[in-house]
Amino acid sequence: MDLKDIKAIIDLMKKNSVSEFELEKQDFKIKLKRGGNGGGAVYEEGPGVAYLPAQAPAALLQPAPVPTLVPSNEIEIKSPMIGTFYRAPSPESGSYVEIGSEVTSESVVCIIEAMKVMNEIKAEVKGVITQVLVDNAKPVEFGQPLFKVRPA
Amino acid sequence: MFEKILVANRGEIAVRIIRACKELNIRTVAVYSEADANSMHVQLADEAICIGKAPANESYLRIDRLISAAEITDVDAIHPGYGFLSENAHFADVCESCNIRFIGPSSRAMNLLEDKAVSRALAKKAGVPTPPGSEGVIDNEQEALTTAKRIGYPVMIKAIAGGGGRGMRVAHNDVSLVKGYHTSRSEAEKAFGNSGVYIEKFIENPHHIEFQILGDGKGHIVHLGERDCSIQRRNQKVIEETPSPLIDNKFKKLREKMGKAAIRIAETAHYTNAGTVEFIVDDKGDFYFLEVNKRIQVEHPITEEVTGIDLVRAQIMIAMGEPLRFKQSDIEFKGHAIECRINAEDPFDDFRPSPGRIEMYYQPGGRGVRVDTHAYAGYTIPPSYDSMIGKLITYGKDRREAMDRMSRALGEYMITGVKTTISFQQAILQDPNFRRGVYSTGFVEQLLSGARRELIEPNP
Repeated sequence: MDLKDIKAIIDLMKKNSVSEFELEKQDFKIKLKRGGNGGGAVYEEGPGVAYLPAQAPAALLQPAPVPTLVPSNEIEIKSPMIGTFYRAPSPESGSYVEIGSEVTSESVVCIIEAMKVMNEIKAEVKGVITQVLVDNAKPVEFGQPLFKVRPA
Repeated sequence: MFEKILVANRGEIAVRIIRACKELNIRTVAVYSEADANSMHVQLADEAICIGKAPANESYLRIDRLISAAEITDVDAIHPGYGFLSENAHFADVCESCNIRFIGPSSRAMNLLEDKAVSRALAKKAGVPTPPGSEGVIDNEQEALTTAKRIGYPVMIKAIAGGGGRGMRVAHNDVSLVKGYHTSRSEAEKAFGNSGVYIEKFIENPHHIEFQILGDGKGHIVHLGERDCSIQRRNQKVIEETPSPLIDNKFKKLREKMGKAAIRIAETAHYTNAGTVEFIVDDKGDFYFLEVNKRIQVEHPITEEVTGIDLVRAQIMIAMGEPLRFKQSDIEFKGHAIECRINAEDPFDDFRPSPGRIEMYYQPGGRGVRVDTHAYAGYTIPPSYDSMIGKLITYGKDRREAMDRMSRALGEYMITGVKTTISFQQAILQDPNFRRGVYSTGFVEQLLSGARRELIEPNP
């Protein structure tokens, strides 16, 4: 990746009002973060990640949380409810899915617990899990992305 | 002491509640639908949880999602605002059973005032006059006819589950009564899920005067004076003021009489927290009880300006178990306050709603001016909710000063991108009858039909 590519990505981010972009390859990782007016971006090779903090963000009038730039063939599984996200049916069991797990639309991918009721959440898409976006036992809100799936 | 409160509402009232919480050092949780992601209340709260898609019945009315949001943020209490679930006894019960304090009256008080027919019966019990009318729900056409005959035309057919000025119809004779009876029932079923209607004497051009009450659940109930809300368009309030010019100019003794009646109603209903007792007053100075609004109301700021009492803070303190720190005799009424509701509607196109993006936004300021709003430059008003974008309140040492200040302040607004009712409000403030304080609920209709006549015959 050279400076020309990075400039192109930054322009695309500006044009589409994207605030965060992250790309990870074998020996290389870059994370770009925009904020307020003209935040900075830094390119670094290696496992570390660094970015210039945006100028003090305007406390008000942040743009609406937009979906991060997702490669066009991936689908997000979003939370249909509010509650606490669990990877496994019980503390002793293994997770429902991991990165690389194949799912069908009926596969249970996680539990969201609300008011002491454990709700099994189905994938509703056929494919392979590529990312797990929420840590175990963390709260989630309506519409929050939980997993990324590469559809089959 | 509450550490964290969830605000189960949106728009300007959510901002209002968050402000009261911040001043009490209580942390706040905002809930929002996808359409409200950029709303001001979301920006101001300490935490924010998305609870669903834009329609209210997929978000702000979803008890399960509100409770889930309250659980994951570990709040102590929920403030329901006005509208939505604020007068829903079941929601109050669910909160309490989940160990979350509901900031409002108890479900017991709500049930004792659950609908207009039940409230009428309670008022009778409290010895407060009600408009002549049916004892309860009208069960059939024949009963409607005999009731109307007993009361005397004209009569009003009202849905017992109606609210916000909806579900009411006037009948002047047997024919329109029968027709109106059946139409009202089916409309009520569709709009409120309850077809029950009752009949009341229709008082022509009444004055709508309501009393603010506060009960602390420890035996103390006070009233904080009246608000005259007769300036209405299609039963929606447009301007409210306190004190009432009708009471001040013509029937000074009514304030004490009606205030006492309001407290009697509240006591009979074992009412706690903030509420408003609504009355109708006719031109002879006779007053009749209508209903109790079991929530904080849109127009509460004018009472705050004239009494110096923060009503939302009082709600929170009462919910925390604090007794009222003042007696009725401690409450002083100073000066005059007026509120104009600013709606995103086009007054030149039959008040058609005007949602969309606010481009330029400058609001009035200066001495004696208060603006309660969630609007800002660049904000997009979603089409899914009501059209009120803010409230302009002016305070003056007397009515004249409050009115002049209101005219001055209305003229300072600069809003582009959406239509607003500001010019309509300016017309009202300049009307000679309004300025004299002589008006009833027929005022706006008369003003608008006069304006229409002028458009048709520009040079009389």
